Amino acid sequence: MARMSRRDFLKTGAAATIAGVSAGPAVVAGQSKEVVMLGIWPFTGPFADAGPLLDRGMKFAIEEWGTRVIGRPIKYITRDSETKAGPSTRRVEEAIESEGARFVIGPWSSGVALAVAEVAKRRKVLHYFSGGTEEISGKRCHRYSFQWAASPFTAMHIVMDSFMKRHPKAKRWYILVWDYAFGWSVEKYIKVAGQGHGVEFVGTDRVQLGTREWGGFVSKAAAANPDVLCMLTAAQDFIIAVREAHNFGLAPKVPIVQGWGLGSEELAQLDAKTRENLWTGTNGYYTANTAVARKYAESYEKKFGIPPGYPAIAAYSMTRLVLGGIERAKSAEPADVVKALEGWETDDWPGRVRIDPKTHQTVHDYFFLRCKRPNEMKHQHDYGEIVAFGSEPLMPEQYNECKDIGAL
Amino acid sequence: MADRGRALVRLVALVAAVAVLPLFVRPVVAAEIWIFAIAAMALNLIFGYTGMLSFGQATFFGIGAYAGALMMIHWQAPLLLALAGGAVLGALTAAVLGYLCIQRLGIYFIMLTFGFNQMFFFIAYKWTDLTGGEDGLPGVPRPPLALGPLHLPLNTATRYYLFVAVVFLLLFYAMKRIVDSPLGLICRSIRENPNRAAAIGYDVKLYKWIAFTIAGAFTGLAGVLYAMMYGIVPLEAISWITSGDIVFMVLIGGLGNLYGPLLGAAGLKWLSEAVSVVWQRWPLILGVALVLVVLYLRGGLVEALARLREALARRRLRPRVREESA
Amino acid sequence: MSVSLLSWAVLNGLVTGVIYALTGVGLSIILGLLNIPNFAHGALYALGAYFLYAAAQAALGFWGGLIAAALGVALLGMAIEYLGLRRLYGVHPDYALLLTFGLSLILTEATIFVWGPTGFTFQPPLMLAGGVNLGVMVYPKYRLMIMLATGLLVLGCWLFVERTKYGAIIRAGIEDRDMASALGINIRRVFTLGFAAGAALAGIGGALMLPVRGIAPTMGVEIMPVAFVVVVLGGLGSLPGAIVAGLLVGVFQSLMTALWAPGADASVFALMTLGILLRPQGLLGQR
Repeated sequence: MARMSRRDFLKTGAAATIAGVSAGPAVVAGQSKEVVMLGIWPFTGPFADAGPLLDRGMKFAIEEWGTRVIGRPIKYITRDSETKAGPSTRRVEEAIESEGARFVIGPWSSGVALAVAEVAKRRKVLHYFSGGTEEISGKRCHRYSFQWAASPFTAMHIVMDSFMKRHPKAKRWYILVWDYAFGWSVEKYIKVAGQGHGVEFVGTDRVQLGTREWGGFVSKAAAANPDVLCMLTAAQDFIIAVREAHNFGLAPKVPIVQGWGLGSEELAQLDAKTRENLWTGTNGYYTANTAVARKYAESYEKKFGIPPGYPAIAAYSMTRLVLGGIERAKSAEPADVVKALEGWETDDWPGRVRIDPKTHQTVHDYFFLRCKRPNEMKHQHDYGEIVAFGSEPLMPEQYNECKDIGAL
Repeated sequence: MADRGRALVRLVALVAAVAVLPLFVRPVVAAEIWIFAIAAMALNLIFGYTGMLSFGQATFFGIGAYAGALMMIHWQAPLLLALAGGAVLGALTAAVLGYLCIQRLGIYFIMLTFGFNQMFFFIAYKWTDLTGGEDGLPGVPRPPLALGPLHLPLNTATRYYLFVAVVFLLLFYAMKRIVDSPLGLICRSIRENPNRAAAIGYDVKLYKWIAFTIAGAFTGLAGVLYAMMYGIVPLEAISWITSGDIVFMVLIGGLGNLYGPLLGAAGLKWLSEAVSVVWQRWPLILGVALVLVVLYLRGGLVEALARLREALARRRLRPRVREESA
Repeated sequence: MSVSLLSWAVLNGLVTGVIYALTGVGLSIILGLLNIPNFAHGALYALGAYFLYAAAQAALGFWGGLIAAALGVALLGMAIEYLGLRRLYGVHPDYALLLTFGLSLILTEATIFVWGPTGFTFQPPLMLAGGVNLGVMVYPKYRLMIMLATGLLVLGCWLFVERTKYGAIIRAGIEDRDMASALGINIRRVFTLGFAAGAALAGIGGALMLPVRGIAPTMGVEIMPVAFVVVVLGGLGSLPGAIVAGLLVGVFQSLMTALWAPGADASVFALMTLGILLRPQGLLGQR
């Protein structure tokens, strides 16, 4: 082998690099016919049970729509968010680059959503997310990200107001809340809502997502002698904590109020006795009385044997709104769809739905349920009755940190 | 003389590999390979060359990442200053922790590095005002490379890759010099027989400490590069899982060899990118690979390649031998 | 802190502490006997819970399931020692550590493969459901059972190791395996059984915790750090040390949760670090 001089090698290296650089973009240009939609869902990690449900909801909506939009076929792809910011951002970028994804729905965790929103902003793809953090339509707002879930301000007020109307003397609240973006928002606003009723928050424990050892926290809550045990958690963490509350003698004597729950699939995991004196607020409970909701509940239950919960409902509704936006814009360019969505008022799953153009907050009803006692249940899935719902009070200006949503 | 020739060929092959890698994987993945190669090189210095198995390198990776990110976010620090900041903080932390860990040997050393890693992980987790906690620290900018008259923005993936590649090559060269220097030789003698090294008169603890601190500096710098890649410092950067990944890379690639960690980093990152999309359970392959390496191929990929080369060479020799004896 | 909170915290601490002790004893046996830090210990702990879950679903019931879990994990432990670790005895201990690390990945992924990535919750047997009124507060029956049963098990281990002939063999193997071998003890068999026993203890720990904490593929990863803290704090190779350290860490962590919850996790490791630096041989270790 002939010995090359160092200079020659540097030249070869530079040439190779330039060749590599120019080869890249050619790959992506290929996929222009299909409309590629990405569902970034948690298939592993602490929210692994929500992943398949979200996948169901999105797929349902796409199939219902005929798997075509504005005359083009829809390609639905999913990636595992793992409920971790690192892998999620990596996979969203990869889906945008190699699959040509232009519409990103998800993830499920508020913390990861903030990271994904940054990617959406940088890569200018449409991003729809449902979760409890106020920042997507607040401090971190930008033209490409939309928030589906009710604003935590509104949601926590509905929970607090309806509960206190029935229990005016329950002034001592103990809070167990998840220690990340989701928890910080809902905790802030339950306390704001509580002020209006003279509620005293006798203790707050901020707990890691995925905590399984609830004995210590439930003991602390019990020792504080509260009138209400308020859980701003969901999924497995919530189920274990509720059971422990019963084991430690706190429930059902003391009511448990879940601020932001997952609806039917979550409630199904508790037995009827454990659901006694349990109250839950949620973005989606299947008995919502709207045309879209009734139809969805029926078809979903027929297909999967259980009515849909918040995850399946949110994914379904978000996908419908995005597809509706594409139809309205008559274009699959994210920027055009953004403009079509802003200010749009239509009927979807929760009933009347309006997308605020200044903050990209989707305004719709939030629901508050009282779980039924065993003898009140009319059938296997009759977990609770909706005692209140509404889309007001709207978050006042002073709290909204989305001052300038920016340009496209 | 032939030795130096082989070394030059290897170096040149490395530069070529760095140049053509983006043809085979996305620039972002390629950049991540070299970033972790830096961290793996650092661990190789203390494990492969000095014989100390640290199961807590993510401590310095994470601290470097957070430090650099915070400097860029809050003080608008320029690129090179942020990199230096990560390296310095990585070195300082390693100096302090290293001093404590080195007091003990064997399993205790491993447990101390692991324990400190856990401690810093939980601190990072709970100090949400500083680190963002579980959500990670977002909004990390990518300042342009400003050096004298040169002003190069790094906003595209390919440009950032080039920058990372150059930094990596420079650090690789530095590591090569360290390993070939008297310090490197002393470290190797410590690994082989610490008692003998002490008997000759070397302050074993001092040299271990120096190696540990240098490794901390390299790892911290790698952390800053990682933070700028996706514009976020995820909590996993400081988790013991990342420490484990770095250990993997060194082991699978080949201990005590300068190129081993690079092969390990490339292998691990490629696996996690390429295979994870196809099969969710790909860490199973990783576990199997590790088990096989530990049982049968303790020299790692480097040894595998060497054996392959020998096998091919032997096949070429055989016909000639038969002719002679005929 | 009120009396009821203190009592709760101490009891909770003893419950987790006794499980930590059990896991720590298992890890300590393996570490002391085979000189291997078993990084697969967490995965074995998780597998114990999964085996119980599977056995209970297969109509073996809770108690039958517990036994099945213990046996299952013990057999797995034997296989691991015989097929894998045995080959690495002459080689540097770092490699054995890495083997167990690789195994932990394989086991965890296999678990997800078989049972899926989501977690499950599990109801305790009916007679142990609910709480019992202890006067100053109500305490869950199941947790009391854990304390009692595991306490007895741990005591049994200690008595076995300290007071029986076979225990003496184990202690001899820990102290000086070459000498023990020279004295005619089949040290290889001791190793296999020792690893199996250590694994079984981890598996029982995981199984017992199932109704309290539910099950998830990551539960092994969570118990690992604490198990190592317990072993190091107690003294490598010292089983009484692991017991004392386990209880200490459990109660300490529980009190910290009650007093300053955000710092509870980090402080456990600060405790370990302090322990290693101030008293490297551990509370009751000899080396």
